[in-house]
Amino acid sequence: MVTSEKLAEKPPVRLRKRPVGVRESRGYRAFQVVNTVVLLGVVAVTLYPFLNIVAQSFSDETAIRAGEVNLLPEGFNTTTYQLVMSDDMFWRNYQNTVVYTVVATVIAMVLTTCYAYVLSKHELRGRNVLIGIAVFTMFFNGGLIPNYVLITSLEMKNTIWAIVLPNAISVFNLLVMKSFFENMPRDLEEAAQIDGLTTYGILWRIVLPLSKAVVSTMTLFYAVSFWNSWFAGFLYMDRAELFPVTVYLRNLIAGAETATSTGGSGDSLLQVAANIQSVTIVLTVLPILLVYPFIQRYFVSGVMLGSVKQ
Amino acid sequence: MLTRTRSRGAAVAVTAAAALALSACGGGGDADAPADLTGKDVGAMAEYAVGDQFRATEPLSFSILYSDHEAYPAQDDWLLWEELQKRTNVTFDRVIVPRSDYEEKRSLVIGAGDAPMIIPKTYPGQEDPFVASGTILPVSDYLHLMPHFQAKVQEWDLGAHLDTLRQADGKFYVLPGLHEDVWQDYTIAMRTDVLAELGLQAPQNWQELRDVLAAIKQAYPDSYPMTDREEGKILLNMVGMTFGTQAGKNWGYENASWDAEAGRFVFTGTTPEYKAMIEYLHGLVADGLLDPETFTQDNDLALQKLANERSFAISTNAQMIVNDYRPALENVPGATIEKINLPAGPAGNVINSESQLENGIMINADAVENENFVAMMQFIDWLWYSDAGQEFAKWGVEGVTYTKSPEGDYALADGMDIMLDLQKSTGFSGGVFAYGGSTELLHSTFTPEELEFQAAMAQKDELPLPPPHPFTEAEREQATLWETALEDYTQQMTLQFILGQRPLSEWDAYAAELEGKGLSSYIDLVNGAHQRYVNENS
Repeated sequence: MVTSEKLAEKPPVRLRKRPVGVRESRGYRAFQVVNTVVLLGVVAVTLYPFLNIVAQSFSDETAIRAGEVNLLPEGFNTTTYQLVMSDDMFWRNYQNTVVYTVVATVIAMVLTTCYAYVLSKHELRGRNVLIGIAVFTMFFNGGLIPNYVLITSLEMKNTIWAIVLPNAISVFNLLVMKSFFENMPRDLEEAAQIDGLTTYGILWRIVLPLSKAVVSTMTLFYAVSFWNSWFAGFLYMDRAELFPVTVYLRNLIAGAETATSTGGSGDSLLQVAANIQSVTIVLTVLPILLVYPFIQRYFVSGVMLGSVKQ
Repeated sequence: MLTRTRSRGAAVAVTAAAALALSACGGGGDADAPADLTGKDVGAMAEYAVGDQFRATEPLSFSILYSDHEAYPAQDDWLLWEELQKRTNVTFDRVIVPRSDYEEKRSLVIGAGDAPMIIPKTYPGQEDPFVASGTILPVSDYLHLMPHFQAKVQEWDLGAHLDTLRQADGKFYVLPGLHEDVWQDYTIAMRTDVLAELGLQAPQNWQELRDVLAAIKQAYPDSYPMTDREEGKILLNMVGMTFGTQAGKNWGYENASWDAEAGRFVFTGTTPEYKAMIEYLHGLVADGLLDPETFTQDNDLALQKLANERSFAISTNAQMIVNDYRPALENVPGATIEKINLPAGPAGNVINSESQLENGIMINADAVENENFVAMMQFIDWLWYSDAGQEFAKWGVEGVTYTKSPEGDYALADGMDIMLDLQKSTGFSGGVFAYGGSTELLHSTFTPEELEFQAAMAQKDELPLPPPHPFTEAEREQATLWETALEDYTQQMTLQFILGQRPLSEWDAYAAELEGKGLSSYIDLVNGAHQRYVNENS
């Protein structure tokens, strides 16, 4: 009798808006604010020169000289784009870069994946020696001239192999892949083995599909690094039609700066116009820019969850 | 019969022994005598003298390291190659190198032993690192194959100039580009409309320049009347030269200067002339007449300052004023910019005579083993050192790429407006082949304005050449260690003194610091090398 009265006296439940879950402390929120501000600053600093170059590429040359071009083009025109894109050699070199990058990335990925997978098996005999060889090359290099002599005597000069083979395996990428493969549960592979799959089959059908994240990351790293590389092309190629577009670009931008001084022939300080330089930069960077967002979706998180009952 | 075989046998034995002996000392760059050229004259002209057109007796091909200029990239269908083959029966096997990294590639291929036969675009002094390794040819031994070169050296009195290139063994290893006269291309460019507005005359010496800049500053107090590009090195070079010293890293600065009175080399960075130069420039900066950012800014920024009228004077050569400064001032109404006469300095109304030698050609040492060696030397002699060859390299084919009036004035053929058109479409007038030559040829591409300037330059006195001080291999290694440290420190301190970051009262302290970096040892080494050269060659 008393309880029911007491129950009847209980105040009604009030609906209050209250965050569910862990309440963020003030300190954490302050950190978030500072963090965002700092990162926005970094973005601005990184983005500004790039936007400046894009603006220059659409601007009038006089305006660039006068320093009027900031984030927006002055004297908007696309004539420079037309000019650069009508240059045969630019497209030849561009094509070279694409070919070199694709071939180099494929070869690099195949080699790195195989090497890393093999090294991830602790029972491999001579595993330490193989790791040692790879790590040794991280610290010691033959040097420029011996490398050049080696490539030349192998008759790879002026061929795609001089660019694609020497830097095929990046040891850093190799070690990252190795540890990724080491962290994959053995049970998957053992289960597959019981079902009768060969080693190659396991690699191809079980391990790789589950490694999409690391494979795509490494592919992107390799692709960007091969796309940007100019040194190998410069070293080993003797003909302008074999250069990658990065060498073309470097000559365009740095040609006048490295020319020497007094008494030089009149055209040693002659420079190509700033807007041509910026158009070439934009065109060279464009593919990588376009590729990045699409690679993102391969970074699937949590792909391993639920695959094997522990 | 018997005697003949015996004597023949003896002759064979002697020849074999001699060959063995020669092979033991040859092939490493050690040979003191020029190589024997029998059998190396396949394709060469039997009679080749001054005024002859070189033509190989059979089609020949020579490998060349070609520095590819980005403004006129090499094309396979250039008229230059076609005409060259027609006239000389020679084609080039071109190793294309982007101009931006030409020197790296050159060092690499020479070091790897993979260099082409002909290596152009080598400035006098750049051949030094390769001398010791024996990978490049001591060309001075083979000048007898090059009649045009010898004639020009004699006619234009360049013997003393060539001596400055000699190494410790008395030979020189680069074939320099030759100019008939000293060619001073650099000076100050000033806004002549501003000068007229303020009623000022173009200055004739550095003191007058200072006064003119001060007047401009009074009229435009927010400006820095003078700025400069190339990190101020052109300015340093010009001021240094006219103050009787040398300045500007890679623009004329040498650690050792020849003191004619004392008869020995002294360290440039501590001479009273160098100090006077620094004091002058420091004065300009201190009074706000010279932009302090001059020595660190980008070329683009310097141009912008000119375009925005924040500066009214800048260093220039013939090309910069046409290609860069006038276009930059297009949007400024009434702006005119012109070269002024190079100001005279305490050393007098002088210019440097070192510009008579210019970038040249190295020859791969292996070339002398080639059966076409003599032909190659004759070819180089014709193309780079004969009047006909230089005119061909610069202008091309008469009637097709240029026309020549009866008075001797050259003009581009129809369809081409500026030299760049000629360079891009035909390959003539490119930097690899066309640079030296007679004054007439040099002036053939000059505007009337430039010709006037050159006439004024011709009035100036020439500074004497320093004598050579060639190092031996061991000395060169030692010298390089000191040279870099001394040069870098001097450049650093020069900047600090000029900008006022270090007071000039600390000059003695600065000299003491240089001592600590090996100044005396280096200068002693230089003087020792010079003395040895004098003893061996007089």
